[in-house]
Amino acid sequence: MIELRNVSFAYVSEDVLKDVNLTFGLGVTAIIGPNGSGKTTLLKLAAAIYRPRMGEVLIDGIDPWSASETVRISARRNVVYVHEKPIMLRGSVADNVAYGLRIRNVPAEEVIARTEEALEMLGIKHLANERVQTLSAGQQQKVALARALAVRPKNLLLDEPTANLDKNGRETFMELIKELASRGVCIAIATHDRLLALKLTDKIVLVENKTVTFVESPEYKYTE
Amino acid sequence: MWQEVAEVVMRSLLISGMATVLAASWSIPIAMILTAKESEFRRTLLDVANALVAVPTVIIGLVLYLLFSRSGPLGFFGILYTPIAITIGQAVLITPLIISLSASVLRETKSGIWEMAVSIGATERQALITMVTESFPRLLTTILVGFNRAIGELGVALMLGGNIKGFTRVMTTVIALEVSKGEFEFALTLAGMLLLVTFTVTAIVRKVGKIA
Repeated sequence: MIELRNVSFAYVSEDVLKDVNLTFGLGVTAIIGPNGSGKTTLLKLAAAIYRPRMGEVLIDGIDPWSASETVRISARRNVVYVHEKPIMLRGSVADNVAYGLRIRNVPAEEVIARTEEALEMLGIKHLANERVQTLSAGQQQKVALARALAVRPKNLLLDEPTANLDKNGRETFMELIKELASRGVCIAIATHDRLLALKLTDKIVLVENKTVTFVESPEYKYTE
Repeated sequence: MWQEVAEVVMRSLLISGMATVLAASWSIPIAMILTAKESEFRRTLLDVANALVAVPTVIIGLVLYLLFSRSGPLGFFGILYTPIAITIGQAVLITPLIISLSASVLRETKSGIWEMAVSIGATERQALITMVTESFPRLLTTILVGFNRAIGELGVALMLGGNIKGFTRVMTTVIALEVSKGEFEFALTLAGMLLLVTFTVTAIVRKVGKIA
């Protein structure tokens, strides 16, 4: 669970988000809002990538910014944020998927097994030895998702995860998210994809005018 | 003539190569420190490095000459008019250039790779290592630019090396000397060699970068 309490954030001087109070709990939460409203910033704050100017972010009850480095890393490792534009490391697909496991010093045999498992979940096991630079944007997005799933995060934050996926890819992705949510993973998705938001999510958060609002009835909001 | 050309080319490669390795060994860690975290102080240091890129070589040569001359504060080392003096001079000359270019490369990588590494659970140290590893081909290019600047400069080599035949004579100083003597054939041969060396080193480094 990730909790944001009275969080404000500014890139330069003016706040992009102001006095945000929000909890990402169990299930799937969709974050919607116009371009530039602060959806990505909100996710990066929740992932403890950005430090809030004011307020606090609690990851499973721990404020990573006021904790020691060891505790901060440990808290951060419970959250994975996946960028909208997939960020790939040089090397093969398997190297990329295994990255999060290697930095956690997971034993080599387990790295191989969990990498294969994650690749299989995304249906890209056949690409394991391909160089990532040769892949399409959609395939790279799947690799980024597999990299996130390989570390089995408690909290998964996805920024426009279906942006580069085709119809089949989106359907597979939706099934996967449902499965992860049923396993108790807390998932937040920033998206413009209405279908995704309506089909998958239990809660919708609207980011607008520097603040966030819970939308009780997603169908109503979209109709509106 | 060809024996002398070969000797001068080898000496130039050795001195400038050593200077580049030396400069890279401190410039890249400095660039890493300057880009690791944002602060006004670090930004100011980076601005200073950027400004120093444009300092003429003769000024660096003059300052180091005064330091290394017998009556200077570092005169007791007795390295003036030796290849060591040229190596140090060239290393100092290309330091701001390598810092500036490397910092620019690392900053670009930071916004993507650093964030990705941190978001997947890397410690700051692991994220920094990933950032440098991923930037390797581009960092290699910045080092190459430094080498090309070192091997092609004249002021430092002339003032700190003294253009002593068989000892501190390098390609650029020989070209300058031969032109002043009206020996254009030898000067042109060396100029051709200088171009060949820079093109070859560039090609090799690019190939290595691609393989990496």
